[in-house]
Amino acid sequence: MERRVALKSMAVAMGAMAGLPAWASGWNKSSLKVGILLSADQSAVLKGVVEAIIPKTDTPGAGELGVGDFVQKMVKDCYDKKSQDILAKGLETLNTQSMKDFNKAFTDINRAQQTQLLTAMEKSGDADQKAFFGTVKNLTIQGYMSSEYVMTNITHYEMIPARYHGCVPVKQ
Amino acid sequence: MANFNIDSKKARTYDAIVIGSGISGGWSAKELTEKGLKTLVLERGRDVQHIKDYPTTNMMPWEFEHRERLPREVVEANPIASRCYNFKESSAHFFAKDNEHPYVQEKPFDWIRGYQVGGKSLLWARQTQRWSKYDFEGPARDKFAVEWPIGYDDIAPWYSYVEKFAGITGNKDGLDTLPDGEFLAPHDLNCVEKYFKEQVSKQFKDRHIIIGRAAHITDPQQIHLDQGRAKCQHRVMCERGCPFGGYFSSNSSTIPWAMKTGNMTLRPHSVVHSIIYDDKKKKASGVRVIDATTKQMIEFYADIIFVNAAALNSNLILLNSISSRFPDGLGNDSGVLGKYVAFHNYRASVSGEYEGFLDSTTDGKRPNSGYIPRFRNVYKQETDFLRGYAAGFGANRMTYSDRNGIGESLKAGLLETKYGNWSVGSHMMGETIPKESNYVALDKNLKDPFGMSQLKISVGYDDNDEKMIKDYVEQISEMFTSAGFKNVKAHDGNRNPGNDIHEMGGVRMGKDPKTSLLNEWNQLHACKNVFVTDGACMTSTSTQNPSLTYMALSARAADYAVKQLKAKNL
Repeated sequence: MERRVALKSMAVAMGAMAGLPAWASGWNKSSLKVGILLSADQSAVLKGVVEAIIPKTDTPGAGELGVGDFVQKMVKDCYDKKSQDILAKGLETLNTQSMKDFNKAFTDINRAQQTQLLTAMEKSGDADQKAFFGTVKNLTIQGYMSSEYVMTNITHYEMIPARYHGCVPVKQ
Repeated sequence: MANFNIDSKKARTYDAIVIGSGISGGWSAKELTEKGLKTLVLERGRDVQHIKDYPTTNMMPWEFEHRERLPREVVEANPIASRCYNFKESSAHFFAKDNEHPYVQEKPFDWIRGYQVGGKSLLWARQTQRWSKYDFEGPARDKFAVEWPIGYDDIAPWYSYVEKFAGITGNKDGLDTLPDGEFLAPHDLNCVEKYFKEQVSKQFKDRHIIIGRAAHITDPQQIHLDQGRAKCQHRVMCERGCPFGGYFSSNSSTIPWAMKTGNMTLRPHSVVHSIIYDDKKKKASGVRVIDATTKQMIEFYADIIFVNAAALNSNLILLNSISSRFPDGLGNDSGVLGKYVAFHNYRASVSGEYEGFLDSTTDGKRPNSGYIPRFRNVYKQETDFLRGYAAGFGANRMTYSDRNGIGESLKAGLLETKYGNWSVGSHMMGETIPKESNYVALDKNLKDPFGMSQLKISVGYDDNDEKMIKDYVEQISEMFTSAGFKNVKAHDGNRNPGNDIHEMGGVRMGKDPKTSLLNEWNQLHACKNVFVTDGACMTSTSTQNPSLTYMALSARAADYAVKQLKAKNL
């Protein structure tokens, strides 16, 4: 038990470290608010959500690429308290709704059922649920498209183009 | 002064002192050391060595954990820096923090600062357009500010001199309103930019679209290789510091060059408090420095002093240099020190779309854009406002992807890039008129963390600026519409003065000591061994990005100063 507590506080300390990248010399890391935004269960639901938004096909999905952690990090570090609450609440709502409709946790229902719940949130009259869906979808797209896997293997990011041609034919 | 533990006075004595290591200070340092002067270069911030101290320069996009967005706490703690387009995860370490360097805004003014060796030369937009004779003649013709004590012919050889060393890409356009320089191969205009150029030249008299002149090495010459710099690789990540030295910065160019002479002592963490005036010798004898690490005051001595602290900080240092001879700031017999500050009006932009050239796009990246030289009131006064504006212009083929739905269809949609119309855009760069009421001064009560008076900034837009915004929007919209661009929209970003990072003046050059601080050699009229060659010296602002002019003025003044020193006139 004591060991678990120690590990937990280590995780919190690492979270504190993660507030700003190490190279940003001069920025006061200790002044940044810290703490893990989501519980382990909520994080697992978020991973399921991003995978449902961009699933594995013949290439990896957003869940496998760690986009869930990216979404959480962005909301924790860059978004306001209201958005953070909306994220946590949205994940709880998904799980509650999943138990109600399918008698299983969100992470245990099938893809069609997950999609059904997410689509309901997108179309919800509840502003917070709509905001939850919008934020998570946008960040999932950003995290996926800017992932190392996608930029390296699919969109072929060029760090050093070494050229500019002002008028070339569009590739068909 | 508790200097007992520091080296002896002799060890703190140099031939020259340069205050600041940014774009102009780097040039002062290079010129003075090359001409054999033992030179102390004082920089208030930390050292940033070329390549070694560019921690983000080779990071991939996915290595930025917030993908270039800054954490909320950073944004909230730095509201001023956060309004700068270049303040992001990969470059934030090159910006001074708002809360550590307070100042007083009598009117809203975004003071963007780079406190490190190299200053803002790491972050600049690298546009390097020469002034023309029409720009220097402006105040005299239009009767504002005071007459410039120099003209285009005085500075032209020095433009050439600094251009060759810095490496400037550009096209010889043959325009008398924007003189050609010593250019390396130009960047391409793209198909829509070329089309717009043709349309404008057909339909509008004396209006031109050109490719910008920019401090990028497109065609390395021996002098660039000698600096250890290479061809620009079109990464367009300049604000991280360039590992190739592809663009000009003090860090990649002038500072290591000065260091190589063996004549430079670079002292980072040195906040200049004031310049020491010697009543007996009737000239400046040195500077007082607060060591940023120990907070101890140290004096350094030299025969000549170059003030290159960046425009407003150069004002601050002179205002803070009080003596019985100069109770209102060094050289301030006229009372105009700190006054007639001006900037560039960047408030308005115009955007649109073009539905042509749909079978074409661009390939690669370009660290440059199109440029529209000033066409208003150039040869004669023709509008209800004074002076005019230059403008940036660029076109890009828009791409998009289908973001509808979720699941496999979304994934497929995201990965299929589709081409839209071309987007076209322009932003204004307006000349503002220096006025006595736009000024900086020392705040009487508030101190900064070094115990120095905070700078109080009172600089705002005026009616001339508002009229110019209106005209820019009308003219560019008309040019866009005439070229067949659709969906033409104007936007007033309402940005604060200062956000242009082109603040100038306060220590202006002029012919008459009664109305100006500096003479035609950037020399204080009343204290001849002090030279101010950064933005503070500017009598008027014209419309060009100013750094190239500061470089040329610095090299010119350093040449003069060394000649005068050798002739024992200083």
